[in-house]
Amino acid sequence: MRDVIICRCEEVTLSQLEEIIKHHDPSARELKLRTRAGMGICGGKTCRPLLDKVLQKLTDKPPTDDIPLKVQPPVRPTSLAQLGGSGDET
Amino acid sequence: MKRNRIIEHPILDQLEERKTVTFQFDGKTLTGYERDTIASALLANGIRTLRRHEHSGAPRGIYCNIGHCFECRVTVNGTPNVRACITPIEENMIVESGKQLPSPLNPNNEHVPKTYREYMEMKDGEN
Amino acid sequence: MQKHDAVIIGAGPAGLNAAIALRKHDLNVLVIDEFPHLGGRLLGQLHEEPNGEWWNGIKEAEKLVNEAKALNTEMLTNVSVHHIQRKDGAFVVHTNRKNYEAKNVLIATGAAETANPIPGWTLPGVMTIGAAQVMTNVHRVRVGEKGIVIGVNVLAAAIARELLLAGIRLHSLALPINNAVTDEQSHPKMVMERLSRIAHLAPSPLLRFGGKFAKYKWAQNIAVSFYPKKGINMWDVPIHLRKAVKEINGTEQVESVTMVDITKDGEIIPGTEEEIPVDFVCIAGGLYPLAELAAVVGVPFKYVEPLGGHVPVHNEKMETPVEGVYVAGNITGIESAKVARAQGKVAGLSIAFRMKKDAAIQKEIEKAMDEVKTTRDNATIQFHPEIARGRDDIHAQFNKYLNG
Repeated sequence: MRDVIICRCEEVTLSQLEEIIKHHDPSARELKLRTRAGMGICGGKTCRPLLDKVLQKLTDKPPTDDIPLKVQPPVRPTSLAQLGGSGDET
Repeated sequence: MKRNRIIEHPILDQLEERKTVTFQFDGKTLTGYERDTIASALLANGIRTLRRHEHSGAPRGIYCNIGHCFECRVTVNGTPNVRACITPIEENMIVESGKQLPSPLNPNNEHVPKTYREYMEMKDGEN
Repeated sequence: MQKHDAVIIGAGPAGLNAAIALRKHDLNVLVIDEFPHLGGRLLGQLHEEPNGEWWNGIKEAEKLVNEAKALNTEMLTNVSVHHIQRKDGAFVVHTNRKNYEAKNVLIATGAAETANPIPGWTLPGVMTIGAAQVMTNVHRVRVGEKGIVIGVNVLAAAIARELLLAGIRLHSLALPINNAVTDEQSHPKMVMERLSRIAHLAPSPLLRFGGKFAKYKWAQNIAVSFYPKKGINMWDVPIHLRKAVKEINGTEQVESVTMVDITKDGEIIPGTEEEIPVDFVCIAGGLYPLAELAAVVGVPFKYVEPLGGHVPVHNEKMETPVEGVYVAGNITGIESAKVARAQGKVAGLSIAFRMKKDAAIQKEIEKAMDEVKTTRDNATIQFHPEIARGRDDIHAQFNKYLNG
């Protein structure tokens, strides 16, 4: 069967995640840093629950109350022009 | 554009006549209706591919359609990463699809330019 | 800079109804939404009530928007919030337009869809079932000629019906192939069990069908074991519990899906591959609370499975442990739009009470909280059989939080 993409933004596949989990017993953060899964432009809005699930399922750990992958601002990608003003006002 | 519209509906109101809006997508002139988003206007014109994945070049279109997934991001009047699914079309708007980026250091990739010059030449060739 | 009494993020049923409650107490409110039209995900909802009447979300949204407008409520569309910062006992709401200061914030950002990832799901023409709903009922554009829905659950059934009403053809609803992510969604027995436990609530034939097997596990087992190969028809579309979609095929866009027969435990039966031509695919994996803004402003979370996953801790008054931050709607747990609307009123009144300390408002809050419960008890659409237990869990967590 063809491999299945889990993180659409960074095109990280299930077998890539499985490989990392098998060899590193990673935290959610380590899994992200090693594969870039969840680091794309959507900020994990599509893959966050999928990554939680993969980790839970393959490591047999129950879900924690804290969100496994820390949520960081900005929660929508934003441009420097938006943050600092477009310059039109000056 | 009309062919793909749901005009009659057994429960919802009939689709009202709306003002048409002319815009451009990758150099092609298209029409949509007022209140259309870029994504709905393009789909009504039979266009589903809004960008190519930056690295693999795989085609992508709308996925969530409400602004969460960023799959439909396009360049609008020169501003990149605009979500086609929640951005209304405007008269004379210029919309460009997302392109695969060059990866000159990847020896396996035959379809992308190996140098910046090749990339620029390819880009010029497209226009 | 002007400081609003409340900034409300999300102009859906919860956000709009909260704004109405606040304006009735003459407080200064700003409602923000990133969609071009007000109404949130009310827009597009369409289902038949048990009494035969149609619940049309577009009309329901219109009513709320008109009421809010009549109360001179300031509402902005096409504005995205990317951060909420605490500052001097108040808040700064950062958006793509400018920053807004607020004494209180209500986060009513709703839900996002969970995926059933299967090979090929990034092809153009594959979309979430919610995406198809909005394209069909809001934008009135056909998503394709003939498609298939991957996932058998309440959301899938509700929106499949809407696609059919709009004259769009569906091959079937089928399960996703089993992998580490699709898990329960791909397991015939678990899907059957879930359907049967919510059956008593629903008018739809799918859930009525599930209801026949409601009480007895053995009956569910038999139903799954002897589930007809052709599926069971609902509105002339087969629902499959013993067939799964293994792959989505195509080069530039969706051309077909590969379907296989599966055992009652979700395993592929070899040699049963069948290629089914479709030009669109809807992925229906359910919903989860979209709570990022609650996380960045420092609200603690609890994992409550019946509510849809990680939920910001809150009480029945819609307060969070961060003073001045409120939540309402699907961010607090996946339920129907009617419950969200009722919760919005509670949140609006709670903010009004914080601002005015008026005992009369306290009474209104009590009444509004009762309304939430009544609405929940009478809900015709419920996403999880143990929603009430989930609610108790999260409210208990709030009390634990406050009392150490």
